[in-house]
Amino acid sequence: MELQIQSLKRTYDEKIALDISKLHIDSGALIGIIGPNGAGKSTFVKLIAGIDTGFTGSILYNQKRLTESSDTYKRMTLIFQKPYLFRTSVFDNIAYPLKIRGEKEAIIEVKVKKLLVDLGLEKLRDQPGKTLSGGESQKVALARALVFEPELLLLDEPTANIDPQSIMVMERVLGDFYEKNRPTVIMVTHNIQQAKRLCREVFFIDEGRLIERGPTAKVLEHPKEVRTKNFIQWAMI
Amino acid sequence: MEQIIDGFKSALSLIASFDGELMNIVSLTLFVTIVATGISAVLSVPLGIFLGIKDFPLKSLVVRVLYTFMSLPPVIVGLFVFLMIARRGPLGGLGLLFTVTAMIIAQILLVTPIITGIVYNGTLEKGRDIKNLGKTLGATRPQLLFLLIRELRIEIFAGIISGYGRAISEVGAVMIVGGNIKGHTRVMTTAIAMLRSMGDYEMAIALGLVLLALSFIINFALYHFQQKA
Repeated sequence: MELQIQSLKRTYDEKIALDISKLHIDSGALIGIIGPNGAGKSTFVKLIAGIDTGFTGSILYNQKRLTESSDTYKRMTLIFQKPYLFRTSVFDNIAYPLKIRGEKEAIIEVKVKKLLVDLGLEKLRDQPGKTLSGGESQKVALARALVFEPELLLLDEPTANIDPQSIMVMERVLGDFYEKNRPTVIMVTHNIQQAKRLCREVFFIDEGRLIERGPTAKVLEHPKEVRTKNFIQWAMI
Repeated sequence: MEQIIDGFKSALSLIASFDGELMNIVSLTLFVTIVATGISAVLSVPLGIFLGIKDFPLKSLVVRVLYTFMSLPPVIVGLFVFLMIARRGPLGGLGLLFTVTAMIIAQILLVTPIITGIVYNGTLEKGRDIKNLGKTLGATRPQLLFLLIRELRIEIFAGIISGYGRAISEVGAVMIVGGNIKGHTRVMTTAIAMLRSMGDYEMAIALGLVLLALSFIINFALYHFQQKA
């Protein structure tokens, strides 16, 4: 899914949270968003996800605006930093997006089972979602987001506060999904090494503005802007 | 003391023998309260959820009014409905005064703010998270509403049970609009109030025991549901 952003501005109590004048994101891009706390990174992905509509300017998805009844919602998703799992089982949590799309039970079983295996969640299949640990919950949230094969995948620090082994598993599954489906991926991360491993392009956002963008290696190793350089130096400590 | 003990013994035998008058009063009570609570729930649940997840102008005023209505004295509601449906009232032509319908209407007005308020408070905590998640998974509006109701079912059930508790225990509203007419609009609470003043303690105690048993069942059901969920 291709994105075109024009004069995007979000303010809270007259304070500018995000101000991006013009931005084009190609279909199939794999972008990491980095920046200090409060920079506007989460605001950025929430605006694109359509769950925060209090902005001025425009966001076009494959040249179309998002409306309440738009089917674009069905082709994109956002993984939140703190995942909310339903009261139902892990299986039913992951199956939910397929069920609301009217998918057949046999296909749901196949697709969900594959993700349970890939993410090492088979033993937790029937366990209530509310009883899982942080790492397990985030894996379920990832599976739930991937199961319906979205064209636009937004992630807001999906591996924050998760153990290294779970991070590895999630990155592998995400990487495989990207290689197979080539969605547009925009991932907010505080982990510079993760951005290096996964992302093809990096955006540095600070004080609500897009300061620098470019291929990952170029931005992280040879940043043009002083603010980007300072942030990366601190982030590497 | 002996009078009380004798009263209890007679009351138990009235219950055990399924006394006709007792059964009439209990069944009418259950009918009025269940219908009123059911209708209130249908109105209140979506309203409470809407208030919990949406921002709109004057919302804080609406919420304050809601909280005020949650503790409205039943006699005030009864008086209001009476004035509306009395012969000289704006709805006097409908002939609703001293009918079961009037009692149901009064209880709906009493119970709806309670269920709405409890559902609203329950939705505040996680309603937006659920709504946003559902939206990002591609749920349509009806699917979102169903999802919210499913995920907030404990809070909703607690609201409905609390509303029902109010309906079954209030006297003022149903007395004023129903008139406590024997075999027609006499419910447990109005009957107990009347019987006490007449000195008929056996029936009053019998009704009191049934009312107590119903309250226990209601609370047990709520506790059981919460544990299961």
